[in-house]
Amino acid sequence: MASFARPSLLRQTLATTRSPLLRQNVGVSQVVAFHASARKQILPPLPQSIEGTMNDPVPVPSPHPMEGSYHWTFERAVCVGLIPLSIAPFAAGSLNPVMDAILCSLLVAHSHIGFQAAIIDYFRPQRVPKFYSLCNWLLRAFTLTTAVGLYEFETNDVGVTEALRRIWNA
Amino acid sequence: MQSMMRASPAAVALGQTMQKRPVTSNAEDPAQILVKQRLNRPVSPHLTIYRPQIGWIGSSLHRISGVALSGSLYLWATAYLASPALGWHLESASMVAAMGALPLAAKVFLKATLALPFTYHSFNGLRHLMWDLGRGLSNNVIIKSGWTVVGLSVTSALALAFL
Repeated sequence: MASFARPSLLRQTLATTRSPLLRQNVGVSQVVAFHASARKQILPPLPQSIEGTMNDPVPVPSPHPMEGSYHWTFERAVCVGLIPLSIAPFAAGSLNPVMDAILCSLLVAHSHIGFQAAIIDYFRPQRVPKFYSLCNWLLRAFTLTTAVGLYEFETNDVGVTEALRRIWNA
Repeated sequence: MQSMMRASPAAVALGQTMQKRPVTSNAEDPAQILVKQRLNRPVSPHLTIYRPQIGWIGSSLHRISGVALSGSLYLWATAYLASPALGWHLESASMVAAMGALPLAAKVFLKATLALPFTYHSFNGLRHLMWDLGRGLSNNVIIKSGWTVVGLSVTSALALAFL
């Protein structure tokens, strides 16, 4: 077969095997509809504003000793501390009051840091500054009531791990 | 054309005979155009554009399970603190009695509902600590460890539920 015959032959083969949708003359409107995926707006965009001029860089937050590297290390230290304290009750049945109190303190710290991370991710201070600070104050209040509530439970009741053991065996 | 023909070469070279076309430019503030354009952006979280993969689904479940567990702890501890004022009974004895009064299926279901977020968050937390040490960060290992965590947490949660 002569080589010049191949391209046209190939084209014919392609034309017959192409899907009927592709063979149609696809208009511009259809192409646009194909490319633009449906908008699923979980959070509608808030009114936008530009700080300074259009070409200003994003401001870099000033460093703070409670944020960044120390915060990261503290977070990990709490997580690592939680590992033996969450394995021990399965081995020993329940914890003694001191270990139980340490577990509760670490759980409160871990929860507080975790909630803070979630709040700053979903309610960014640049986007919703008032709601962000409201959430943070709510979190502080709830962390306080949780800590006091757990202290009450530890002093007046059987302790968290022992209570869970009893509920599990009920 | 006539004027071009008549103009001297020097005048043409200096652009003195250039055609001028007065056009009214768009007087809109460029900053406002940008503001309007920003409203057309897809808003995060735009989850439907991603293919479901163990990496991001597992990561989302880590946060969801963590918030669920901590949220339960916060609500229960706060309710326990407020219980004398509200007349509720959240002390261990009455919780044990309430759990004991449930039929077996409800007990297993409740235990599984509590145990699965706990086991998943714990095992996936170990995975996160491994990443913090800079290990297991290749795509292959992330997929394998992700499914390992799913398997381990479901198995251990079922074991705890039937305990």
